[in-house]
Amino acid sequence: MAARGWRLCAFLQRCSGCSMAMNVPTPVRMSLLVRLIGTSSCLHKKNMAATFHEKYTEEFIKQQIEEFNIGKRHLANMMGEDPETIGQEDIDRAIRYLFPSGVFDKKARPIMKHPLEIFPKQRAVQWGEDGRPFNYLFYTGKQSYYSLIHDTYEQFLNIQMYEDQLRDKGLFSLDCKPINLSGSRWLTKEELEEMLVEHISDQDYLYFLRLLERMLSLPYCSIKEEYVLKFRRRMEDQSKKQIIEALQFDESGVAFSKGEGKRKTAKATVIVRDHGSGNITVNGVDYLFYFPSLQEREQLMFPFQFLNRLGMHDMECTVHSGGISAQAGAIRLASSRALLSFITEKEVESMRQAGLLTPDPRVRERKKPGQEGARRKFTWKKR
Amino acid sequence: MAAGGSSLVMGSAVRLGRCCRLNAWMPGLVPVRGSRYNPYYLEPEIYKERHQIPVTELGPEEAAALELRTTRPIKAALSHQSSSVFYDFLVSKFTNMMMLKGQKLLSRSIMSKTFESIKRKQIESYHKASESEKDAIECNPYKIFHQALENCKPVIGLTSIQRGGKSYQVPTPLTDNRRRFLAMKWLLTECRENRHRRTHMNERLSQELLAAFNNEGNVIKRKHDLHKMAEANRAFAHFRWW
Repeated sequence: MAARGWRLCAFLQRCSGCSMAMNVPTPVRMSLLVRLIGTSSCLHKKNMAATFHEKYTEEFIKQQIEEFNIGKRHLANMMGEDPETIGQEDIDRAIRYLFPSGVFDKKARPIMKHPLEIFPKQRAVQWGEDGRPFNYLFYTGKQSYYSLIHDTYEQFLNIQMYEDQLRDKGLFSLDCKPINLSGSRWLTKEELEEMLVEHISDQDYLYFLRLLERMLSLPYCSIKEEYVLKFRRRMEDQSKKQIIEALQFDESGVAFSKGEGKRKTAKATVIVRDHGSGNITVNGVDYLFYFPSLQEREQLMFPFQFLNRLGMHDMECTVHSGGISAQAGAIRLASSRALLSFITEKEVESMRQAGLLTPDPRVRERKKPGQEGARRKFTWKKR
Repeated sequence: MAAGGSSLVMGSAVRLGRCCRLNAWMPGLVPVRGSRYNPYYLEPEIYKERHQIPVTELGPEEAAALELRTTRPIKAALSHQSSSVFYDFLVSKFTNMMMLKGQKLLSRSIMSKTFESIKRKQIESYHKASESEKDAIECNPYKIFHQALENCKPVIGLTSIQRGGKSYQVPTPLTDNRRRFLAMKWLLTECRENRHRRTHMNERLSQELLAAFNNEGNVIKRKHDLHKMAEANRAFAHFRWW
């Protein structure tokens, strides 16, 4: 618009006798007039930054963040909380109270979160005022990905150069400390996309992993340990995810613990008491009469037998719904969970690895229309 | 060299989306054959003794497997598995193969009756035998079952390969699982088909197991027939390309 103004005034200057108001400082106008002769007009027509289909500008997001912070303080005032220390959980609770919604989809309900969580991360404009891109790999279409591949390969070549140097000196040896990769995993495709702020395909991701593995196959890869560890994520120990409740004590000082378990449709609650003699009562009936079959009784005893605590505990179970085996499985899971309060951490981990603490996810598969059962099809008739 | 987690582990019931390399964390991983478990889940280790071995005494592979198990979720133990001394993996597999229409109770009762009748027969022959022969008679029905199964396992199998319009029976090696499966299958088919209509399954099974224990009987004959066929078709062994 300003450029058009200069061109217009240049044109008007030529046709003299024009009394249009020129609200531009004269020396600038003159220098721009000089410039206009040699340059093409297309570069000055459009605002280069705006051709990028940027959904949300930086100013917009900054404004949203300010509004969010002010809104948080208002909300804290309304709900009677401290504006300085209000957390996201308090905000969620407040929104649920102020805007109760019975909409089925949880994602369709009103939310108030920090704008950086709501608006997706997007890249800033990749080129300057003149339209030239900053990164030399811009025209590949996946500049962050390819620059990452170039960097990784550079590290790979550095390791090889180092090895060659050692070979020249005669100091090359195959027994060198490897990088410790246990307890960690490669980052997932989603994490890599987040890191690069760019969409990559499955094949690209796999190629990158193959390149890293190739780097790790070199004997002297430990010199680039830092670089490789950037792409590894720690895997937390599964045993730490178990919820172990504290032991409770009843009036006579005997320790007991409760547990709940499910299997198919059966649900069981179990109270395991200490200082017992191996009596098991299910729904008020002795376990020998409730489960006449040996297999179910073996399942009831499995956790105790595994921990060598067969005659040491008494168990009182209530179970409803489900079949015979399902009820036995539910009681097994419930008693394993109850026993967690009595045992050491190592034993918890052994129990977890024996499969006693995992709820069995197998349930009855539904019947599908057009078929006789879940898998069985109708008899095929030729005509 | 990189240690630990860069090794690639995968179960057999998983198919890859589009890529050719096996990796437990690849995208496009799809559980085939309808397992309800996420492919990350590992099989449980139900034997008590294996958990009590201290870490120092484990070999390098076992240590790596233990490392993997600490960070991965584990599947639930099945309802017929237990850590008790009375649980036998082979017996439980055989019971499942014998089961029809989901009647586990019936299958288990047949198994226990079979073992009882084996024991009775062996005790009878023990009491009838002379002093010198008494040591040679095996009375433990589980040991007899295991030995009989071992004796029934074929060493080499036959696959049908088509060449030039004609299909040939080519001798192939068999995996352990396949050999065990064939032994159990032959035992069961033999006991179901070649019997008088009034003989019960447990009687027939105990007869067949004792015969297999002594390397006699129809199942052993079938195994030997298979071996002879494989020997006869040795000329076609080069048809196999794997």
